[in-house]
Amino acid sequence: MKKLLVSGFLLLSLLPLAACSNHSSPSSSANSAAQAKTFVTGAIPDQDPEKLQRLYGKLSSYLEQELGVAVSYQPVTDYTAAVTAFKVGDLDMVWFGGLTGVQARLQVPGAEALSQRDIDARFHSVLIANKNSALKPMRDAQELTNLKGRTFTFGSESSTSGRLMPQYFLQQAGVTLTDFKGQAGFSKNHDATIELVTAGTYDAGALNEQVWQKRLMEGKIDQSRVEVIWRSPEYYDYHWVINPSVKQRFGEDFPQKVQAALMKLDPTVPEQKEILELFGAEKFIATKNENYAQIEQVGREIGKIK
Amino acid sequence: MTKPASRFFIAPSLLWGLVGLAAIALSLWQAGLFRQAVFNLNGFPLLWRFVVASVHPDVSRNLLDITLRASLVTLAYAVCGTFFSVVIGAVAGVFCSEVWWLEVLQANHFRYAGFQIIRALLAFPRAIHELIWGLFFLNIWGLDPLVAVVAIAIPFGAITAKVFSEILDETPRQPLLALINSGVAPLAAFLYTLLPQAFLNLLSYSFYRFECSIRAAAVLGIIGAGGLGYEILLSLQSLRYEQLWTFFYALFFLNGCVDFASAALRTQLGCASRIDLNAHHPPSRNRQNSHRIFGLFPIAIAGVALSFWYIQPDFSKVWSPRSQQLFNQIVQASLPLDFSALPHLMPLSLETVAMSVLAIAIAAIGGLLLAFPATQNFFLLSRVLNRYRGDRLLPHVMLATARIVLLLCRAIPAPIWALVALYVLFPGILPGAVGLGLHNLGILGRLFAEVIENLEQPPLEALKAGGAPDSLVFLYGVLPLTMPRFLAYTLYRWEVCMRETVIVGLVGAGGLGRALTEQLSSFDYPSLGVTLSAFLVLTFLVDWISATVRRSLRASS
Repeated sequence: MKKLLVSGFLLLSLLPLAACSNHSSPSSSANSAAQAKTFVTGAIPDQDPEKLQRLYGKLSSYLEQELGVAVSYQPVTDYTAAVTAFKVGDLDMVWFGGLTGVQARLQVPGAEALSQRDIDARFHSVLIANKNSALKPMRDAQELTNLKGRTFTFGSESSTSGRLMPQYFLQQAGVTLTDFKGQAGFSKNHDATIELVTAGTYDAGALNEQVWQKRLMEGKIDQSRVEVIWRSPEYYDYHWVINPSVKQRFGEDFPQKVQAALMKLDPTVPEQKEILELFGAEKFIATKNENYAQIEQVGREIGKIK
Repeated sequence: MTKPASRFFIAPSLLWGLVGLAAIALSLWQAGLFRQAVFNLNGFPLLWRFVVASVHPDVSRNLLDITLRASLVTLAYAVCGTFFSVVIGAVAGVFCSEVWWLEVLQANHFRYAGFQIIRALLAFPRAIHELIWGLFFLNIWGLDPLVAVVAIAIPFGAITAKVFSEILDETPRQPLLALINSGVAPLAAFLYTLLPQAFLNLLSYSFYRFECSIRAAAVLGIIGAGGLGYEILLSLQSLRYEQLWTFFYALFFLNGCVDFASAALRTQLGCASRIDLNAHHPPSRNRQNSHRIFGLFPIAIAGVALSFWYIQPDFSKVWSPRSQQLFNQIVQASLPLDFSALPHLMPLSLETVAMSVLAIAIAAIGGLLLAFPATQNFFLLSRVLNRYRGDRLLPHVMLATARIVLLLCRAIPAPIWALVALYVLFPGILPGAVGLGLHNLGILGRLFAEVIENLEQPPLEALKAGGAPDSLVFLYGVLPLTMPRFLAYTLYRWEVCMRETVIVGLVGAGGLGRALTEQLSSFDYPSLGVTLSAFLVLTFLVDWISATVRRSLRASS
């Protein structure tokens, strides 16, 4: 009798379980229908994730007003995830770095580089060093060899200003990844690089000049402990890339509308000024895919683009 | 020293012990100890900030809200993942049990070959870590909760199937054969004899899987699945240690509750230990009460339904044209595989094995040290040793401390420990080994403690009655009784460590995982395929070595 009870229970327990796995599908398809009408933006997590949340929250509400469609911001954990989410179609428009933007466009035919900040057409990386490291500011690229035998950290693996271009310029000067003491670190974002070098975990590190300037202005940097030792030549960096699928959902001219809305951001309007300030820009300008030919070439050279 | 000779002069346990020590020494050399800078002393201020933050976690209202929501997400992932893995395990487990093919289907040789093929095929999903499954599905389904659920369900389903089939095979067959021989249809006989007999063991293992799922759900946060793992990674990246500790404590609490509930249920069921490796399933003491457990079924069903409702995985994605198109894209992008990096992978494979050896060495030594104070019967109730002299406070404090340390170690995912280790160690296999070692220390220590708590009393009683002092009871009673089980668990965990090297690689620790990270961020699918294959080969190799050693030790004991 008891054995019968046990097997009966086995069967009974499976039936409602099967039923409940069906239960959730209608509600979630309704969910995805709502999603189809939302313009989802994203960004590579290049800075303190909390700062990004604030910045893109404000930008989303601005775009919502300007475009007349629901706009949301979806955070991701790393640079690769941003590219993947863009490829899969979870993100409609992403604030990419130079390298990630190229990677994304190569995987999504028809994706377009839309707009960038005034500073992105002439972007720079900086190398910073802990003052106790006795590394001195360098006068020219030849002196980069001073970094041999020191500890060094990059930002994210896929960062243009925190990894790709610094590694490229170092390589040009004859410094390879094996020349550092221990192995080169990857801090994951620019703020983390500043923290790690300030704390002395690494003698030196490479990061985005704009983030550095911004933190300097905010007074967040302990200048008694960390300083800039080198500024890189200029190159094209950050830009918005938009997925061609938005044309079907929001109309053929939607990319142009978004571009116009971004370029309309006006520093004389207080709320828009705040957005521009958070981006560290005076204004947004138009950009095009061709601007990133150099980044693509360097990317292939370093092996980050296949 | 040749092997056949050694068989005559050295006991296998001693031989394997020496081999193990040699492996650890080689691994340390591989990690760069004594050869290059591994310790980054300049990182201590940051590590200190991290440690200090543990005493004042952020308890602002806003953060507590986030913590609660994240905890629920992690819990729901674990529930849904466990649900699917148990369903997969139950079905596949029956189909790859020997008893099903031999007795129920009364298979001939031809069919029996089919059984062995199914069993061998299940080794593949099992060998690939849930994080890799997660990354794969992320590329097809995007950021959907479905990714986390399926990423847990596939490898865990395959493991559950293996264990279920083993449980079924180890269950006494006499009642089944009796029914079949008296003319009952084989299927009915199976349902009425073997299944009910094995049921409690199956249930007990399912609870253990749930404990594992909680940890897996936390790890999956790292690839963006959300929940506590995700929040922890974000606050670690922005170096907000106060928030980090709030999430740590939440994870600690969640793991603690699940472990405790699971242990309580297991006692109810009369299954004393979590996973009975190479142990027979003895008839338990209080199974009379076990039917009470059925009262929990409605609760379990409600829990599963609530979890699915909470995270809302979009099942339509599984067969949507978009997913298929993306799947085809990945397959096309990966083929033909690019073997040019293969020579480069050889040293990395060595590093990976070295990392797993160091990790398990850290875990086993640490686990051993903490397991004894963490048991209720060793120092506390003096059931094992002679009556404990002195005050009773000390053992209680030791018990609590050891258990808290073990729980904290296993609650925090290995990649997070590795990231912390990266403050004071240069990137390389050592921080990875430390991260993996700390996490597995928590798991092994608890498994060890269970072995001690389930010690057979009569041999110890005999020693004590003979007047043996504590040290001798320990040396001649406790150690010989526990060591074989300890070694078996350690070897089993080594296999798990090998699989997990990939996840610490993702945060910058060395080995194949590191190569995988670079290839992932370069979208280099042809090389990625080769690296993953190398991983598979290593995993099978380690599984094989571990199985061989375990068999040899069992034969000698």
